[in-house]
Amino acid sequence: MVDWIVQHILEKYNYWLAMLIIIISLSAIVVKENLLKKLIGLSIFQTAFFLWVVSLGDVGRNIFTTWGLKTGTPPILWKEAAEKGYIYVNPLPHVLMLTGIVVSAATTAVALAIVIRIYQKYGTVEESEIIDKEIEFEREGGEVRNATD
Amino acid sequence: MNIPKMNPLTWTAVGIAILLIALSIYAIEDLPAFGDENSAVNKQIKLFSVDADGLVESLDAGVLPLEIKTKIEKLGFIEGPTCPGCQNENYPSLTEGNYEIQKIEKGTWEGGRLYTEGGWDVLIKEGEIFYDEFQQYYFIDEIDGELNVYRYNWPVRVVERTEEETAMINAVTSGLADYRGYDTMGEETVILTGAIGVILLVRRRGRL
Amino acid sequence: MTPEKKEYKRDVIIEVTTDLMFPLILLFGLYIMIGTGGTGGGFQGGTILAAAYILYITVYGTDKAREKMPESVNALFKSLGLFLYNGAGWICVLFSLAAAQWLNMPAFWPITDFVGVPGSRSFLVSYMVSVGIGLTVMASFVSQYFDLAWKEEGERGGR
Repeated sequence: MVDWIVQHILEKYNYWLAMLIIIISLSAIVVKENLLKKLIGLSIFQTAFFLWVVSLGDVGRNIFTTWGLKTGTPPILWKEAAEKGYIYVNPLPHVLMLTGIVVSAATTAVALAIVIRIYQKYGTVEESEIIDKEIEFEREGGEVRNATD
Repeated sequence: MNIPKMNPLTWTAVGIAILLIALSIYAIEDLPAFGDENSAVNKQIKLFSVDADGLVESLDAGVLPLEIKTKIEKLGFIEGPTCPGCQNENYPSLTEGNYEIQKIEKGTWEGGRLYTEGGWDVLIKEGEIFYDEFQQYYFIDEIDGELNVYRYNWPVRVVERTEEETAMINAVTSGLADYRGYDTMGEETVILTGAIGVILLVRRRGRL
Repeated sequence: MTPEKKEYKRDVIIEVTTDLMFPLILLFGLYIMIGTGGTGGGFQGGTILAAAYILYITVYGTDKAREKMPESVNALFKSLGLFLYNGAGWICVLFSLAAAQWLNMPAFWPITDFVGVPGSRSFLVSYMVSVGIGLTVMASFVSQYFDLAWKEEGERGGR
């Protein structure tokens, strides 16, 4: 039992850390009522996922076990790495996640623009008050007018 | 004992957390350890093992033995139509003259990788229109009287060949702008669409 | 209920520091984009170039920052970057008979090699392409920040 814990939890601590941040931010999207706080949770979720994937490709010496390898250098080729015995880090996860970072930034910008329009129409950013206003206007039979004209 | 009154959404969040923790305990045994050099992501994937009775001599002579060849062809390397009347499959084939076997000694340093054990490399020539050279496909190893067959992964090729093919020393940029250039071409369109989307949402009568 | 308009006090230290740092951040972003050997690339250099303009907008406001980056120049940079990259890509698709080989295959481009350096044709094309990415990313992020930060006249707290 102790062997399983040491091998699967202490040696692979990077996956557990990334999973912890994913759990916290995913619960923030569901629980919080303010619309802006939900957007912050979405951005943190995407960043933690990229951390999980990029840490798959790291090559080097571990803290808890010793394999006798030198740590990995960044994947920019230089000539003295052959003499000293360094090993390059895997460049494939970096390549595939760069486009993901840019997609995350563009999505956050469009979502903020939508929140601005919601604020101009309802006058508030809390989720429960928006639902109350919608129910009120349905009972009266009118439409929602702009709140700051 | 009363369950304290909480928002029902909080109970949903607790349920999601327990589900994700259970899923990660189930899946943690397949992931490689942090910093392993010979894991499947970084270097090679093990396919199968074969008893080495008399196959080492034929590998030294440069011919792939028949048992390994039939097992590889079962995994999908076929030349010719798979069924009568179907189209011709375009996979690279293992017929004579299309591949080459190279022997590698233990401890050689080649293009960013240190070979900790000796073995044989199988190089196959793909039949592409503008690029007609040998590429690395398989790596055969001998341990305890058994031959193991591995399949190389893509980062091995990038680190070995990026200096002579693209003249860029940055492996990440050469992967983004040269080997995977069409993905980045579509990505730029996404950025432009994001900017247009924000313009359409926010500007009203007076400004645009 | 009319809100009071407070006089916006100018802060000399922040304004002078921004005036000094603005060209240096632009130079640093250009180095990351096409510096020695190309450390970085298109996306990374483009966001640093955009960060300089965002600092200027935060300190001075949208009216004064519009003179530094007017609307027509912004639209020009956005389309110029996309034109460079997509033009290169579609030429390669056309000349490779729709087989979609690598983007910077040396057989397509009518640019001469450097003498004695193999593969330097793709080297030049990669620089051209990454400059294209950097321009589009910079102009797009600056335009998004302008849209999210301006206020109409008559709203509370504009300037």
